[in-house]
Amino acid sequence: MNIEKKKAKKITSWQQKQLFWGWIFIFPTMLGLIVLNIIPIFTTIYQSFFKTGDFGKGNIFIGVENYKQMFQDAQVWQSLFNTLKYAVIEVPFSIVIALILAVLLNRKIKGRGVYRAIFFLPMVAAPAAIAMIWRWIYNSQFGLLNHIFGTHIKWISDPKIAWISIAVIGVWSILGYNMVLFLAGLQDIPRDYYEAAEIDGASGIATLLHITVPLLSPTIFFVLVTRVIGAFQVFDLIYMVMDTNNPALGKTQSLVFLFYQYAFTEGNKGYGSAIVMLLLAVIMLITVVQMVLQKKWVHYN
Amino acid sequence: MKKKIITMVLVTAMALSMVACGSSTSSNQSKGNNGGTQTAKQSGNEKSKGPLEVVIWDTNQQAGIQEICDEFTKETGIAVDVEVKDWDSYWTLLESGASGGDMPDIFWMHSNNSQMYMKNGILMNLDKYIKNSKKIDMTKFMPEIKELYTYKKSVYAIPKDYDTIALWYNKTMFDAAGLSYPDATWTWDDMYNAAVKLTKPDGSQYGFAMNPSNDQDTYYNMVYSMGGNIVSDDHKKSGYDNPNTLKAMDYVGKLLKACPSATTMSETGTDVLMQSGTVAMITQGSWMVSGFKQNDYMKQNCAVAEIPYDKTTGIRASLCNGLGWSAYAKTKRPDDCWKLLEWFGSKEMQEKQAQLGVSMSAYEGTSEDWIKNTNVFNLQPYLDETKESTGAIKNKLILRPYTYNSTVWSTGASTALAKAWSDPSLMKQTCTDFAAEMNKDIAKENK
Repeated sequence: MNIEKKKAKKITSWQQKQLFWGWIFIFPTMLGLIVLNIIPIFTTIYQSFFKTGDFGKGNIFIGVENYKQMFQDAQVWQSLFNTLKYAVIEVPFSIVIALILAVLLNRKIKGRGVYRAIFFLPMVAAPAAIAMIWRWIYNSQFGLLNHIFGTHIKWISDPKIAWISIAVIGVWSILGYNMVLFLAGLQDIPRDYYEAAEIDGASGIATLLHITVPLLSPTIFFVLVTRVIGAFQVFDLIYMVMDTNNPALGKTQSLVFLFYQYAFTEGNKGYGSAIVMLLLAVIMLITVVQMVLQKKWVHYN
Repeated sequence: MKKKIITMVLVTAMALSMVACGSSTSSNQSKGNNGGTQTAKQSGNEKSKGPLEVVIWDTNQQAGIQEICDEFTKETGIAVDVEVKDWDSYWTLLESGASGGDMPDIFWMHSNNSQMYMKNGILMNLDKYIKNSKKIDMTKFMPEIKELYTYKKSVYAIPKDYDTIALWYNKTMFDAAGLSYPDATWTWDDMYNAAVKLTKPDGSQYGFAMNPSNDQDTYYNMVYSMGGNIVSDDHKKSGYDNPNTLKAMDYVGKLLKACPSATTMSETGTDVLMQSGTVAMITQGSWMVSGFKQNDYMKQNCAVAEIPYDKTTGIRASLCNGLGWSAYAKTKRPDDCWKLLEWFGSKEMQEKQAQLGVSMSAYEGTSEDWIKNTNVFNLQPYLDETKESTGAIKNKLILRPYTYNSTVWSTGASTALAKAWSDPSLMKQTCTDFAAEMNKDIAKENK
């Protein structure tokens, strides 16, 4: 009895220690999360009910007026639609291409380290710099693309194609990151499966579809969820590549771009906050749907 | 073993970072508790050893401003750090800086936003300093520019410069087309006719170029010379539906046919199109001279003429604006800031600014200095426009139109007009629609 009690006590004190160190270790992250994410979320919710004054002073409470205005604002819905269009291109293409690249670079080929580094490079470069380079590549008057093909296509100022051009930059710059995640996932798939498939005479494509993809599905799911969220938050590419007098801007600008325009360029933080709340709601909805649907296709062996 | 070492290193790094966190919070606390006199003073002193932060938005002027600041440092021993942002991020920086209480010490002010900044007490009130100063004589500055930075009879910025708009043309292209060069007698119709003749059907050369976002240096001038306006004189109503404004915008629509497509101009600035020999004429502000005189193509091929006038009204209108040097109201070193403002506003430095060709100066009698800053271009047209008249033509300087927070509607105009730029037949409708939108924007301002 006595011994048992002692034992129980000992475990608790050990657990306490664990708990203590556990908290110590997550403290820096927690602090960052609270200061940089959680407090701003509540400030944003709060602000969305105000007509914000200049320089954050003299806010006037106006209830749901910002939301009312937002639901009647055609520009907001157009921007939401633009964001969707962007995501529809960026997410699938960046995942499929990265997956193929990962499978290819997982084989023992000469100089695969170099290839991996090359594909990962865009991730290391500053997004603003990438956007500036692409802006000149796309330039209809002096751009590299039109020069090489001898065309006069307005890649980034024709409303019909500008959003695709922007999404292409998005795919290109995220490819390497997705590829590295897939490569890590591929390391976890036991060789036995492939050997067995080979003995059974399965083709390369069949192996990819029936072994690699199902066994990689947890990684694919993770990439999918984070990429969808990332795509919905696209801003820097559009901001750097397009000017406010670009005729294609209306059909290309994302919700975050619109938010920036209102909150920072025009100083209307209240309305900007309302727009961001809409974005938050949309992202949450899509993520919940993905979480529910994952049971149908993700295999956690 | 290896693992152990790594763990040790990680733990030490974390411990260090935590100590750093701890110490900074504790010093903050002590500031709060002891009324902060000692610590605040200390940090103030520490900061005074560092350079004064100056932020501007024009790269072309950086070198000249830096030179003026270097002389200031030599004279007073106060170091100055000049930083350049682009126009958009400049205002974002100031806006968020003013909200968060962390601003550069000295910065440029613009008529677009000055009302808002002055009313909210972001800018340092300079009355007391001006009264006691021997170097600053406010009567010597252009009254229009002074007025932009005066709020409730107090001065909040020292006038820096002023600017006018003139017509740049490509001599080589005019020669090739056998046309005579533009001069002070040109009407807007003359310019249009020349622009059409200079436009080649194969798209290799165009007569003119203008962007809806380059309002001050393009269509504003046409609007005011044809008797229209952008904002009513009391700064309360949009002028985009004024019949004369519509007449001018109709002219703009016509002129667009001699321009590269709206899409091209939105991707490539009109100055770049001029410098690359794609367009034959642009109207540009005097602030661009410092950049143009460094461009080899411009040096060889281009020249300046007076901006055209309108035949019906007999008025030549040049938009005019001036920046101000202002200081942050809550700067820790108000006296040092004033010394630098005083330096920028002194007769010698205003002359120097003109001589270096940084920009025209707001100080009386410095224009000759500016003309002489380059012998590549004859800049006289920029000055002639400021005279009362040229023969029978009335010259008018029009202050850039502004309201309490002009950014909202001027960005709005640029976006709205982009539509009409792509399809000029929509011009009238776009302008009348935008007038309603702009009136709403003005009504919502936090005056």
